[in-house]
Formats: sequence, C-alpha cells, structure tokens
Amino acid sequence: MNTSTVQIIITIIHSLFFIYAFFAIASYVILAIISAVETKEYMKKNSFVNYKEILSSTISPSISIIAPAYNESLNIIENVRSLLSSHYVNYDVIIINDGSKDDSLEKLIEAYSLVKVNFLINQQIPTQPIRAGVFKSTNPAFEKLTVVDKENGGKADALNMGLNISNNQYVACIDVDCLLLENALQKMVKPFLEVTEVKIIATGGVIRIANSCIIKDGKLLDVNLPKKLIVQAQILEYLRAFLLGRMAWSRLNGLLVISGAFGLFDKKIAIEVGGYDTNTVGEDMEIIVRMRRHMEEINEKYKVGYIPDPLCWTEAPDNYKTLISQRNRWTRGTIETLRKHRKIGFNKKYKSLGMLSYPYWLVFERLAPVIEVVGIIYFVILMALNEVRWDYTIAFIILAYFFTVLFSIVAIFSEELTFHQYKKKGTGFKLVLISALEPFVLHLFILYAAIRGNFDYYFNKKKKWGEMTRKGMAKAENNL
Amino acid sequence: MEIYHYLLYYFENSPTIIQIVWIASCVFLVSILILVAYLKYLRSRLRKNEKTVAEYQKEYESDLITYLYAGNEEAEISVEQQAIIDKLRSCASNEFKRRIIVSTLLRLRNEISGEMAEAIQNLYFQSGLISYALKRLKSDKWYVVAKGIRELTQLHVKEVHDKIVIHVNHPKREIRKEVLLYLVTLFHFDGLKFLDLLQTQLSEWDQIQLLEVLQRFDEQEIPDIIPWLKSTNESVVAFSLKLAKIYNQFEVKDALIALLSHPQKKIRLDAIHVLSHLQVYEAKVILKNNFDKLSQEEQIEFFKLLENLSEISDETFLLAHTTHQNFEIKLMALKIIKALALEKFKSLKDLSTDADYVKIYEFLAYN
Amino acid sequence: MSDAKKIVLAEDNSTLSLLLKFRLEKEGYKLHIAADGKEAIEMIEQHDPELILTDIMMPFISGLEVISHVRNKLNKQTPIIVFSAAGQEEMVLKAFNLGANDFMGKPFSPNELVIRVKRLLR
Repeated sequence: MNTSTVQIIITIIHSLFFIYAFFAIASYVILAIISAVETKEYMKKNSFVNYKEILSSTISPSISIIAPAYNESLNIIENVRSLLSSHYVNYDVIIINDGSKDDSLEKLIEAYSLVKVNFLINQQIPTQPIRAGVFKSTNPAFEKLTVVDKENGGKADALNMGLNISNNQYVACIDVDCLLLENALQKMVKPFLEVTEVKIIATGGVIRIANSCIIKDGKLLDVNLPKKLIVQAQILEYLRAFLLGRMAWSRLNGLLVISGAFGLFDKKIAIEVGGYDTNTVGEDMEIIVRMRRHMEEINEKYKVGYIPDPLCWTEAPDNYKTLISQRNRWTRGTIETLRKHRKIGFNKKYKSLGMLSYPYWLVFERLAPVIEVVGIIYFVILMALNEVRWDYTIAFIILAYFFTVLFSIVAIFSEELTFHQYKKKGTGFKLVLISALEPFVLHLFILYAAIRGNFDYYFNKKKKWGEMTRKGMAKAENNL
Repeated sequence: MEIYHYLLYYFENSPTIIQIVWIASCVFLVSILILVAYLKYLRSRLRKNEKTVAEYQKEYESDLITYLYAGNEEAEISVEQQAIIDKLRSCASNEFKRRIIVSTLLRLRNEISGEMAEAIQNLYFQSGLISYALKRLKSDKWYVVAKGIRELTQLHVKEVHDKIVIHVNHPKREIRKEVLLYLVTLFHFDGLKFLDLLQTQLSEWDQIQLLEVLQRFDEQEIPDIIPWLKSTNESVVAFSLKLAKIYNQFEVKDALIALLSHPQKKIRLDAIHVLSHLQVYEAKVILKNNFDKLSQEEQIEFFKLLENLSEISDETFLLAHTTHQNFEIKLMALKIIKALALEKFKSLKDLSTDADYVKIYEFLAYN
Repeated sequence: MSDAKKIVLAEDNSTLSLLLKFRLEKEGYKLHIAADGKEAIEMIEQHDPELILTDIMMPFISGLEVISHVRNKLNKQTPIIVFSAAGQEEMVLKAFNLGANDFMGKPFSPNELVIRVKRLLR
C-alpha cells in the first residue's frame, strides 16, 4: 500500500463518521421540530377535554390492569392499593405472582382477604402452569382484584397469563411498582375510542421518575427533583426521550416501542399475534413490532397511540450498578427484537415501518454505541500515531457538547410549556446545570452498559437464560 | 487585541468544515444562553401567573357570591347587583380577566341547580360575557370555536342553536363533538335530530359522552329511533343500537332483526347483543338456522344470546356444539346444557377426551 | 355564637364552598372549609364538628376515605352528607356502605341542602 491509498482510506473513514454524525444531529433536529408541532396540537386538543365526564360512565369499555410481580413482598400491599384506586369505573386488576419465593402471596391473601376460587382459563397463549391457584377477595371493597399465583416463567410469561385470564376488551400492562394517577386509564383509552379512521392497536404512556417525590397511600402528593445526580440526569434523559423523541414518532406513526412499565393494548390483537415473546429480555418492544408487522401483513390501517401526560411514576435506578444492568438489558432487548424482525427492515412492503422506523432504530439506536466506540478506538490509534489535529478535535468536541446541552434545554422548555411538573423555585436553574453536567455523569456509563449488552448478547448466552428464569421480573421499564 | 487577531487569522486559515463547526458552536452557545434566560423568565412568569390567577379568582368568587345573595324578592336587579354587573362588564374587556371570570361562573354553574343557577346565567348575559363567546364562534381557529361552543353549552344558552348546529359536519372532530354535546345537553332527546344530518363518523368516545349526558335526564320517552337504525352512517346505527338497549326499545325489534344482515360485522355483533338484551326469541330462530354461515365472532355472540334465551328445544343444537373447536363456544354450549337439563349434562362426562373439553367439563361440574 | 353548631365542608371547588359557607352561616352554623380530603380529616379531628359535608371525588384523599376515617378510625357517628357527580352511583353506594347518612347529586340546589342539613341536625 502506498501513502496515497492510505490517505484515501482515511478520508473515506472520516467522511463516514462525519456523515453519520451529521444525520444523527439532523434527525434530532427534525424530531424536535415535529414534536413541537405535535405537542402544540395535543395541548390544544386536550385543553378542553373533560375526563370527568367519561370516567364514571358504566358503558365505557372494560380494561384489565395486568401487573406481574416477582419477589415484591416489601411493597406489594401498597402497590396493589394504588392500582385499585383508579377513578375509571369499568376495570379490574390482575396481579400475577410469577413464582415468587418470598411471602408476597401470603401477604396479599392476608391484606385483601383473598380466597382461592375455581377459575377456568382459556389457555390461548401457552404459559407456565398455575401454582397455588387463582384468588379473589371476599371483601366487596376489593372486588376488582384477582391474584394469580403461577410457576416462574419471567415477565413475558406472566403477562401472557394475564392476557389469558382477562375478560376485558383492553389490557394495561404495567410494572407492579408503578404509581398510576387516578385518571390514567381514561386518558390512555381515549385514542382507542376516539379515532375512527384507523385502528388503534396500543397506546403508550410516559414514565416519570418518582425518586424523592412524596407518595402516600398510593397517591402522588408532591413532585420533587431527586437529590442524586445520577437520578437527576435520568430525568433529563426521560424528558428528551418522551417529550421530544416519542412525541415526534407518534406523529409519524412510527413508534416501535411503548414502555413496558405502562402500555394499553387491544387484547384481541395482542392475543392474535400470540402475546408476549418469552424468549427475549425486550418483550415490550418486541410485541409492538410484532403487532405492527401483523397489521401491515393483514393490510389494515393502524396506529400506535401515545399519551404524553405524566400518568405513570416509578423509581429509577439510583446507583450505577443497577443502572448499568438495566441498560445492558435494554440493549439486548433491542438487538433481539431487531434481529427477530430483520425481515421488515428496508422492506417496501412494510411501508414506513420498514423504510423509516426500523432503519432509524437500527442505525441510530442499535448501532450508535458501537459506532461511538469504534470512533473512540480509531481516535486512540490516531493519537498513538501522532496523527491528531488537536485544534480540530476540540472544535468538534465543543460542537457536540453544545448540541447535547441545547437539546436537553429544548426538552426542559417543552416540559415547562406543557406539563410543568417541577414547579419549585430554583429547580429551573438546577435542570439547566444538570444539562451541562449530564454528558459527563450519565453518558459514559450508558455507553459502557450498551457495549456490555452487545458483548453479552453475542458472547455470553448463558447470562440471558439465567436472568430470564431467575430475576426476569426485575424492573424493565424498557428502552427510551 | 493580539489574541483577537490571532484567532481571526486562525479561523480564516482553517478549512471550511472547521469554520462551519466553529460557527455552529457559536450559534448553539448563543441559543443556549438565550433559551436559559427565557427559561428563567418563563418559569417565574408561570409561577407569578398562578398566583395572579388565584388572586383574581378569589376576588371574582366573592363578587359572584355577593351578587347571588344580593338579589331581592321582586327578582329585580338590586343596586348592589348592578354594581357587580358593571364591574364584571369592564373587567371582561381584558381577555386574561375574562377567562378567570368565565371559569369562576362555570365552576359554580356546573355544580348547582335551581334559582341560583338561573341567576348565574342572568349575570352572564347582563355583564356582556356572552357576546365574547358568540364572537368566538366566528373565529378561524378551530379550538377557539370549540371552546366557545363549550362555554355556551355549560351556561345553557339555548338561543344560539341555529348558529351552532351548522357546524355539525365540521371537518374538525373536536368542534363536532362540542356541537353534539351542546345539542344534547340543552335539548335532550330533541337534540338528537342531528343524527339525521350527520355525515361524519360518531366516535365511540362521543357516543359514550352523549349517552352519559342523556342519562342525566329523567325523561324516558325517547324519539323514534327506527330511521337511525336504518341510517347509511354506520356510527349512527351503532349509536342507535346503544339507545335501543339502554332505553329497552322492544318495539324496534324488526329493525334490529334486519340489522342481522348488515354488511358491517361490528353492527351485526351489536345487533345480536341488543336482541339478546331485549329477549327477542325470533332472532334466536333466525340465527340458529343460519349458524354455519356466521363468522366465529357472531357465533360466540349468538351463544351469549342463547345463554339468555335458551329453551329445551335448543338441546340438540347445543349438543352438536359441545365439541366445537372454539373454546368459548364449547364452554357456553356445555354451560347452557347444564342449566337446561342437568341429567343430560351428567351423561356428557365422557363425550370427548379433548383436553379443553375435559377441563371445561370438570370446571362446570364443580361449580 | 359559641354554641353555633359546627360543620366541616370538604369540597375542592372553592367557589361552591364559598357559596355554601355563606348560605349555611346565614342559617346560624359555623363552617370550616377544607379544600381536599387531607385537610378535611385534620379539621374534623381538630374541631369535632356536629356535621360533615364532603364531596366524593377530591384530590389526594377521596370523600370515601374521609367517611371511613371518621367511622372506623375516630369511631364517631357524626352525620355525613356526601356530594356526588352524575354517574357516580357506584361510589354513592360505597359511601352509604361506609356509613354516610345522606347524599346530594350534583348539580344540586343550595336551598335543598339547607333543608337536609337542618333535618340531620335537628
């Protein structure tokens, strides 16, 4: 190889990196603009919806809340109480105790005066068998509650059991430790009832971070900014993802994922496609992709709805260890889903699902950490060869940093103009400060977790299976 | 100065791309600074706004209460009341204040009935607030129109019916919904005449809301729904089916039976459901004779009807379906046989070895 | 004035609270206004009223929980009237099961409320 060939190769590599970065930034800008348009429209429409009017209607459609629980003994009583306090009339709560080894079931039986009942299950989706049985309360105050005790099979398997058991038209699949606001169900069910032109197959909600918030008896009394930097940084991350990213994708009808922590599904379609996939750690993303794929294949017009209101609050990891294992799992979930549905990628038959959503996820979500690491390695090599123009490097780093901060601040803005949850004085300044710090405190760890996820996916298959059976129920509010 | 010149020189001699990077960075930085400054302003304004709104609301609240208790026996407007009317009239010219006044009136109007409710309405007219709502109806912005209609609904302004009913087929869903709510809230069943005019689809959400409003009234005399059951607008048919069920319209059974052959499956399913609720035995015969031609969902819905309307003469039919491949049909067939003829049910124990059959049979036997 | 009968009114609509306060004070009662269930419970514990008026749907703590607190935690038989909006029949039944004495469906006439209050406090 002569020098000029090397020169050409290097130029090509540089151009590829540059093009990737350019499109990544451009996509962020475009998504932010679309989200602004959509948010404005949403706020206008919502400003005069009276949810009180429909919430108490007995002719409103029936919803089942399905909440899998694995070794949640510590908080299960309060969590269930919170789920039972929704203001929607026509709903029930199905708690699936997924082979917990602790005393969750005993506690539930005691607190809610449960008794074992005879229950006929139409096993439309195969699942692990029932263990202790199906329980209902003898106290009419808890008539909405059903508790199912089954053998351990992981979160997806537990949700499938819920799908089999529910008699209702819609199912809300949630994490048991989520706090739902009282009007959450009617807001989530609204798109299903309101849209007449296309079929709504599912709606996704927003996850808000409950750390440091004041919660009593299953109700959110006061919203506070968390004290730990690692949690504060996640708040910004969630704001960006939910208020800018998802809002825009919902406008484009391109949502590929709705949070496993809170999503509402048309039960019939969910069962038709075979329920949740028990072979992935990303079951919440996978089912949406599969439902969309199914709708494309039967050629029916559909949409995945999205409700940006802060309806579901949950604790975020407050230490790096938990955070890394959470993100590791999300990464593997994404890889598994994208691989399983490779067929739709760049396939015209699947219209925007195949030509826009899938490629975007593959290139800018799935591959982003890999490309970033490759870039870093390449840079280190250049450094070793003393080929670095430091002044150019600094210019690019500053550009990237400013853009990141700017994007976070736009997300904060979006929050202030819409839901304005962090009302307290001084919080605004703190949020700005966190935007400046976040790239240092959070990003590197998330990058590390994503790489670990890739590594585990390709070289550590055992880990996956161990996790699926043993602690499959660990919190998985899924990919942002 | 030295540094400045040096930087300028450096910049001018950099490749274009680096120049662009520096320019973009500067643009970003300036944007950040502007946004941060604006954010500070926005947050303090939002906070202040909340306080101001609360203050004004308190003021108008007490004005309203004073107004309501200052009325005299002769139902004329007292001096004190007139003073409040004048005050509100002048405040209403300011949009911010007007919004608070109207919301205060509405908050009370929605909760109380009787003389006081009428007095609030009177105040709404006297203080000229109504003219602003009417102006909103002419706006180009859909949400302004929708809000105007909503306000007029909540304050029971029947006089503007003609101005509102023209929007019944408005392309914007939100406006249509407000129009329908206006008509039904103020004119009850008479308001349903819009169903004759409706060309757009009435969403499920709208239907539920309208039925909720109708159920607030005591009247049980509902208009003739047969023309709506025959409507070419499917959503009107679906809505009328709900009316038929809630108001037990047994006399429309022929129209309901006709819907069993409606081209839309959803309508056929709803029709079976309503016929079951109204206990129309004729429907059972028709569906039974036609059973094999029905879609599976209709078959299931028919079995639900049978649970309600089965007679001993259905036994052969039911027996034939105890081994149906569908779980629900199997379950319902066995369940109905058990209720109808217990001895027969007992004899069916070993009819099939299919796992589902055994499971269902055992479940029914012990329940 | 000291022997005026005390009433705690829990209602999240401040305008309605104010209207009822005026109306009932004209009848010679002493009113304590709570804006939500939490405040209501505090006031009931502090003032030990002769009558409680409460809305069913309130932020934080619902009217049902207020009733349950009075009957089960405080073990008091203070008469309770609940306010409910249209379509909350199920809630009203629950309220009666928990020990409410009377209910008024919104929208209601303040004059009718006065009559019911008088009847319960006779």
